[in-house]
Amino acid sequence: MMLLSPRRLAILAAAPVLPDRHVNDAELKSLALSGDTAFWGHLAARSRQAASFSELFFLSTLRKKAKRHATESVQTSLRLALIGGYNLYPLHELVEHLLAIRGVECERFLGDYDNFVSEILDGSSPLYAFKPDLAFILPNAGHCRFSGSLLDAVEYQREAAVGAAEQLLNLAQTFIARSGAAVILANLALPGDLDLGSFRSRTLGADWSFRKAVNLELGLRAPAEVQICDVEFLSARRGINAAEDARAWYESKQLGSPDFLVDVAQELSHLIASRKQGPKKVLAIDLDHTLWGGVIAEDGIEGIELGDSSPRGEAFKAFQKYLLALSERGVLLAVCSKNDHARAIEVFEKHPEMVLRLEHFAAFKANWDPKSDNLQRIADELRVGLDSFVFADDNPAEIEIVRQFQPQVEGVLLGPDPAEFIGRLQAGRHFEPRNVTEEDLERTAQYRQERRRTELAATVTDMPAYLASLEMRGAIKEFDSLDLPRIAQLIARSNQFNLTTVRRSETEIQGLLRRPDYLCFTMRLEDRFGDSGLISVVIAKIEGGVFVLDTWLMSCRVLKRQVEDEIMNEIFRLAEIAGCATVRGIYLPTAKNGIVAGIYEEFGFIRTEDSTARKEFELEVEKYQMRSTKISVTRRAYEAS
Amino acid sequence: MKQAEVLAKLQEVFDGIFLEKVAAKPELSAADVEEWDSLKNISLVIAVEQKFRVRFRVGEVEAARNLGEFADLIAKRMEP
Repeated sequence: MMLLSPRRLAILAAAPVLPDRHVNDAELKSLALSGDTAFWGHLAARSRQAASFSELFFLSTLRKKAKRHATESVQTSLRLALIGGYNLYPLHELVEHLLAIRGVECERFLGDYDNFVSEILDGSSPLYAFKPDLAFILPNAGHCRFSGSLLDAVEYQREAAVGAAEQLLNLAQTFIARSGAAVILANLALPGDLDLGSFRSRTLGADWSFRKAVNLELGLRAPAEVQICDVEFLSARRGINAAEDARAWYESKQLGSPDFLVDVAQELSHLIASRKQGPKKVLAIDLDHTLWGGVIAEDGIEGIELGDSSPRGEAFKAFQKYLLALSERGVLLAVCSKNDHARAIEVFEKHPEMVLRLEHFAAFKANWDPKSDNLQRIADELRVGLDSFVFADDNPAEIEIVRQFQPQVEGVLLGPDPAEFIGRLQAGRHFEPRNVTEEDLERTAQYRQERRRTELAATVTDMPAYLASLEMRGAIKEFDSLDLPRIAQLIARSNQFNLTTVRRSETEIQGLLRRPDYLCFTMRLEDRFGDSGLISVVIAKIEGGVFVLDTWLMSCRVLKRQVEDEIMNEIFRLAEIAGCATVRGIYLPTAKNGIVAGIYEEFGFIRTEDSTARKEFELEVEKYQMRSTKISVTRRAYEAS
Repeated sequence: MKQAEVLAKLQEVFDGIFLEKVAAKPELSAADVEEWDSLKNISLVIAVEQKFRVRFRVGEVEAARNLGEFADLIAKRMEP
């Protein structure tokens, strides 16, 4: 074969409008070839937005070229296996590029075409020898068909769909159990055939309806450790006609059109990159031209555009509804606006069309100070790092200033059209939860409770009396599979009260449950103002009579409430039961966990290792004095409740 | 369109796709160009289909043994 297999250009998706596209192809090429370090930022920005094969291919080629001049900043490396019912070449090249621009370097394994079932079932296959950290399983949609008749009873057809979904999930779980690696399992693209006409929706036996049923079952039945890559959604979003590519299938067994490979690669690399790095926590938002049309200080409360009386007003109201939904899902909202404080407050209190009210905001800064300063104040108030912040504004100048002075904050330019705000905010993909936990749904309420605690603290004169008045109840429990999503979330997100910042995936945490040499527990806290939920995680390893604290982290919301004391009491109680003579604490300093640098010494531990990167502390079990606290502990780890 | 004209237009496509200078000559094949892998080939076919406003049928591109045959194929598909 002389010229290699081609792809067709089915319907070339129109090039997307790229608002933040600073450099054109020629400029980018010359930056790449001259070895200019600015190249990498532009490359990453354009690669994340790329929606066509030609563009992403161009960017990937430039990256390879530029790599000869400079080394990229690689933060992590990943052993990635791609297996499935399609040819995974050249999908992997796109994935590799999109991970590289996110600082993840890949070692990869490509399964043979349509050999993934035996690769998973045969424990001696090269897949396992590769020792992957993560596998992407891409089943062939065309092979997933209902084998019976179109006229079979719907219940029978549904059972077949459940069976097909279970089969894929079992494969994924077999792989996880054998390899200890994580899995991202793709579901099935729906076919664009006109075949059967309107009858296709009257049966589950048609390819269209059967695959839809399989996808539904797959998503609803997937255990927490199997993450689903929603290929059905991606194909619908691009349009089935543009995503399908019969010629590419016949010629080289491709999943779809070249542009559709880009969609899947974008999604997969986003899922991979966000596995160990949780979503953002805070959305700081402007007011004028953002939550309503117009400028409150000039137009007054009657003059601003908001609500159902005009199309623009309706769009602003819809944006507020979306922000409310984000807040209900656990994203903290904060106002960050150059504005007159009293006039701004008045809108929230008095405007009848306002969806968002003051109680929906965890912080409120409307003044004439620079927004970068206000963001810092909000971060201090909420005890959340600025790297967990997204800042949204209609004004490009404000976005740019924040980018310069608070580079950790992700800026989202909402632009001039309120009809586009929701789409632009979602395009950053900053607030997509890996799992929605109960804590997420409670979070804004918890910050509100926190404000009431602070008010109480101001009225009570001494700390012990304040703590006693909170009527705290704690429950300590060994790791429970039901708590896994929340445990994984805390492990992925906690930065400040986190002694070692060891990140573990849900699969890795699950693996600890089977290890007799690990003792792992969590603590929940509630008080008269409400339930703070699961707020602390400890992972200890028993190593030759020493109780080694591999992980200890705590939500900063419950600082200074004696949770630390109860956790330490539990550590020593368990160490003694486990027959350990000594407890060893480890502190790995990061830019963010300075608040716990001295915690072991506060508990009387002696420093035994003291290098810049690692500190160790030890305390003999018999020397520890149990601390008394105002928390009534209703349950302890490894005890029946 | 004559083969030479097609090759001249192909040269423009090549200049946009290959990082090295690759001359579009009839006897050229993918094996002669280091960076011409199957990924690049997909891009090349997409670019050619856009530039010449043609659509190849299944299996055709694979059957072309060198750039001259590929140019002839393009010319053939351009015929109304």
